Amino acid sequence: MVKRMAWKTPFLLLAFICIFWLAGASAAFAVADQHIYDNADLLNSIEAQELEAEAAKYSREEDVDFLFLTVNGMEGKDIVTFMGDFFDQWAVDNSQENAVLLTIDIASREVFLSGFGTAETSLDDERIDLVLDRIVPDLQAGDYGGAFEETMAASSEYMDYRPGVNPESIFLKTWFHALVALILGGGIVGSMLYNSGGRVTTTPRTYFDGKNTQVTNREDRFRNKTVSRTKVQQNKGSGGGFGGGGMTGGGRSFSGGGRKF
Amino acid sequence: MVTHYKCPNCGSDMAFDSESGKLSCPSCGRQEDIETFPPENIELTVETDEAKEYHCENCGAVLLTEAETTATHCSFCGAPVVLSDRLTGDFAPAKVIPFSVSREEAEAAFRKWTGKGRLSPRGFMSGDRIKKMTGMYVPFWLYDIDGSAEVAAVATRTRSYTTGDTIYTETEFYDVYRDIDLSYLKVPADASEKMDDLLMDKLEPYDYQELKDFRMPYLAGYLSEKYDYDDESLFSRVESKIVPYIDAYIATTISGYSTVSYTNKQIHAHKKQAYYTLFPVWMVYYDFENKEHTFAMNGQTGKVVGKPPISGAKVAGWFIGIAGGAFALMKAAAYLVGGVLW
Repeated sequence: MVKRMAWKTPFLLLAFICIFWLAGASAAFAVADQHIYDNADLLNSIEAQELEAEAAKYSREEDVDFLFLTVNGMEGKDIVTFMGDFFDQWAVDNSQENAVLLTIDIASREVFLSGFGTAETSLDDERIDLVLDRIVPDLQAGDYGGAFEETMAASSEYMDYRPGVNPESIFLKTWFHALVALILGGGIVGSMLYNSGGRVTTTPRTYFDGKNTQVTNREDRFRNKTVSRTKVQQNKGSGGGFGGGGMTGGGRSFSGGGRKF
Repeated sequence: MVTHYKCPNCGSDMAFDSESGKLSCPSCGRQEDIETFPPENIELTVETDEAKEYHCENCGAVLLTEAETTATHCSFCGAPVVLSDRLTGDFAPAKVIPFSVSREEAEAAFRKWTGKGRLSPRGFMSGDRIKKMTGMYVPFWLYDIDGSAEVAAVATRTRSYTTGDTIYTETEFYDVYRDIDLSYLKVPADASEKMDDLLMDKLEPYDYQELKDFRMPYLAGYLSEKYDYDDESLFSRVESKIVPYIDAYIATTISGYSTVSYTNKQIHAHKKQAYYTLFPVWMVYYDFENKEHTFAMNGQTGKVVGKPPISGAKVAGWFIGIAGGAFALMKAAAYLVGGVLW
């Protein structure tokens, strides 16, 4: 009996794994139908179609909906409130909480990027700031389609990193690793080559006569003093950054950041 | 003048023995103190036509020597001879460090050294193709140097503190003056034209505990040469050697500052005394891939210098190994921290 069980165990395990896998697949992220709400008509219809497909693709990959909202005037609300109200409504309509939302008000020329649900941690304030750095030049040039595409590319790139890590840190860059490796290899092998013929092992102390070497006259005269002042940089980012994370009117917390462009 | 040291026991030619530090007879093993060697056993021959031709006292063969040679072997019978007239007057050495590494020890030390050559071709590392080894006393000048330095510098001390949202950086300027009496003892410089200066510099340091008053029997059994450069003409070289030492010392006398920039630095060094000294060096001639490589070994400490052959494949191997290893290590660390490999 025991023997028969032992023979069966791997198959049972396999079956379990299959069930879990299927369950996982069926419970997989359901991508929303519409991602682009271009109320300000910043995109032409071809662009909009392409971006919609693109957004669906990225959304599936990251298990987070990438949403784009453009407006021309916000009925007197500020962009954070406006964005929050939109998302509260959207979340209820689509019964979906995980999203990255890029809001553009073309009237005030403001942009706000926010992360909801899982994206609040995977795309935190710091990362949002980095994404904004990358899309603001496109926005200033009027290339909104390009900015949207860059938003998705940059965000999904950053979201792969462990939460809290600065994805643009130099210590995570491959070129930096390669450079350090080359310098290290070159330096060590170079010094091995240099020293292969024998090293100079005399030091300044070797022939030094401590008994008869001495300072006979020593003077350290204070002359003057200068003081320079620099202001501590309080605001980071370029072109009037604002925002940070917060809470929507509907009680959804988010990470965020905005700029004028 | 040709000098042989005859064994009081059996009459053979005695040679210096690096282990005991005495004259030793190769035939009967008798050992004689260098200080008390009986003068009647020192066989001197005054040649009529000096400095041109020497004859071996044993076999009468002509000793083939170069003009600088002061000790050698008879090329015919192998007897150690010292050309004592070349070691007198201006050419009388004041000091000597006797060999303390014997030929066997030198060979073993050299093999050990080739085995450690991580960038050398495999065939070289065995160290078994020594063509020739010669124990040689190389002429050096040792200088006792007196000097003085007058230094003026502007030094700064910086501290910064933050009040509110302002960072204050406070820099204090000081005028710094130092007068220094300098003394360096027995700084060596090789006085032989044949010897590569850099190679000889790398052989240092020698242990001056073993520095002995010169006596000719130390040379018996080795090659020796007299100096090509006198102490005056060599002083500039030794000066250039100690200036970095002096600079380093000056820097240690000005401490506690963030920056020091010298506005005036005058260093005077002059020779207080110079000793004509012979240092022991093993020259190793090594055949590898049809090329002769020359190495020098400190005959007192066993330190080896000289350019070994380099294997391009090994250099590439080490480079790839270190760079690749470092790259993989950093990638792994980045992956652990960031969770992303690329």
